Amino acid sequence: MSYFGEVDLGPSFQPFHALQELFGFVPNLFRAQTLLPRLIEAEAGLAAAVLWNERVLSRSRKEFMALLVSAAYGNTSCFTQHHQTLRSLGVPDHQLDQIVTDHHQADLSSRDTVLLDFALKLAISAPWLSREDITVLQDQGFTDESILEAILVTGLTGFFCTLSTGLGVLPDFEPRAIPGSHKVPPPDKRLYVGGTAGPYLPALELSPESFPPFAFFVERFGLVPRIFRAQTLRTDLIEAEVDVVRTVLVPEDILSHVQKECIFLVGSAANLNTYCVAAHCEMLRRMEVSTEESDQIAVDHHQAELSEADKRLLDFALKLTARSSEFECEDVELLRRHGFSEEHILEAVAATALNNFFNTLQMGLGTTPDFEARHVFGPKDAHLSSTVDRPTEGTQVDPDAELVARVQGGDLDAFEELVSRHSRRVYRTLMGILGSIEEAQDAMQDTFLKAFQHIGEFQGRSKFSTWLVTIANNTGVQRLRERRHVESLDDIPSEADAEFRPRQVRAWAEDPEQLCSQAERRELVESAMMQLPPKYRVVLVLRDIEQLSGAEVAAALGLGIPAMKARLLRARLMLREALAPHFVSSAKRMSL
Amino acid sequence: MITCDEFMAELGNYLEGDAAAEIRQQLEHHLSHCQTCQVVYDSTLKTVKIVTDSGSFDLPEVAARPIRDEIMARIRKGPT
Repeated sequence: MSYFGEVDLGPSFQPFHALQELFGFVPNLFRAQTLLPRLIEAEAGLAAAVLWNERVLSRSRKEFMALLVSAAYGNTSCFTQHHQTLRSLGVPDHQLDQIVTDHHQADLSSRDTVLLDFALKLAISAPWLSREDITVLQDQGFTDESILEAILVTGLTGFFCTLSTGLGVLPDFEPRAIPGSHKVPPPDKRLYVGGTAGPYLPALELSPESFPPFAFFVERFGLVPRIFRAQTLRTDLIEAEVDVVRTVLVPEDILSHVQKECIFLVGSAANLNTYCVAAHCEMLRRMEVSTEESDQIAVDHHQAELSEADKRLLDFALKLTARSSEFECEDVELLRRHGFSEEHILEAVAATALNNFFNTLQMGLGTTPDFEARHVFGPKDAHLSSTVDRPTEGTQVDPDAELVARVQGGDLDAFEELVSRHSRRVYRTLMGILGSIEEAQDAMQDTFLKAFQHIGEFQGRSKFSTWLVTIANNTGVQRLRERRHVESLDDIPSEADAEFRPRQVRAWAEDPEQLCSQAERRELVESAMMQLPPKYRVVLVLRDIEQLSGAEVAAALGLGIPAMKARLLRARLMLREALAPHFVSSAKRMSL
Repeated sequence: MITCDEFMAELGNYLEGDAAAEIRQQLEHHLSHCQTCQVVYDSTLKTVKIVTDSGSFDLPEVAARPIRDEIMARIRKGPT
């Protein structure tokens, strides 16, 4: 039911009783975390305070928000859960589908419509949220308390979507396909706010002496962060949040404090959250990590003085934060291979999810930083969420950007143009992985259909072509997995993985391409490449035939740059061995 | 002078133009003295050029069009 094993917590585990009572069963999301029961208790407490208890907004109104936000994140498991809950509250299927397709056409009251507008903007374009968006809600009669609740519901939905993706949770019910949504145009860079123009809501003054959660912050961090001061209209929510902080961030028996703060830091940077980056840099400084090093981790942790394992851990958190639609079992496997235990990985998922929750909350509240901002993020920083070679990916102009925007606006002809432009590249990628013309052509259709289905989620953080090749790679690997019963390209055993030494050391002809015709060379290359294991073939296709940059190849294949380079060199050397008999200089051959 | 193993360990970076200046100097010094590594380096460069120029695994337009038409037909039809 998930990527993680389940243990029996016995009949006395109280949170499961409460969940059983609420749902009639224990959702898979919580079952997936039985290796760390403390997480389950705190998460269920937060969900009860924010979503399940009715205090200001009605349950159905909150579920509408959660449904739409889960759909926007493309999370089938959470979407199915909220869909099922709303059905049980008597909302008909067609209205639920219409909310996702276009909530403006879903026969909702104008109050509900603006509430969903707000949730969607906070969920997918948080740095663009402004005081004006809060005013729109206030003009519709929403109280400050209900707006605060709306911010938390949106953040909590993101929290559970991240958890669900990271844990690989299967839906509790027959999975419900997410209907195609109407495309929200990408936000205008000129209207970027950055999440620190508030606070947008009034708050009450509470002292650490009279309010224990604030005493916890003072003891732990030396101050009460403004993000919590901004929520004093609802002390019950602050208490539930503090419980999660105590559970996820404070213990040091699994991941260290520094590791967790680094997860928060890279996630916050990917979410362009100036406030949270400043806060976590400060926390790291107090743990004797220099500010220069924290800045380096925020901007590109690959260049930081971290162990290889910690870099992988941050790759994991970053992918789960910024590219969750590409997240897969292999990402969990990779951490296992780097020595992380199940509990380590569970905690990393929970920390990543909690960071997303607080990032969303902070952007919704608009609080100014408690510490001097280390990096004030702007719209051009969107490249920070890419795992590799960020500057290159971020600063290049994407030649497909205009077509992508048109497709996101519903223009199918623009998508046909994208298919025309990229069909060769996608086909070659799939040939690299699958090695069969028929299968590659078939998988090519799947790739473009998936790309179309998810193009609304594409935010330009990488080039469209890199994003597309990533989908092709995942599609190819998925097919290979079905065919060979392997989890990833790395699992296909190959003699080539052993120590490799060049054996052909005779010099090649000065101009080897003159030794045979173009057609013969092509046949030779194709034949030699077909002998290579898929993981080597695909890297050659992308780097040497498609001539993507090293960073683009690494990103598309989900590899770090060093791993990609090692694989590429091995592939080139193996191909060199295969081609050598055809291209060594005739003079040398005669002398032998 | 660096060994052949050390040369091979850096060859990937060297081919990609990513070796630091100091390392690059050491590699070039090694190449000027080691015939075997010179052959491996030269033939690997030629391999890359042959692969790049080969146009392998191309999808001819005559094969691409029906696939593209099928994709667009499925998209225009909408979710089933």
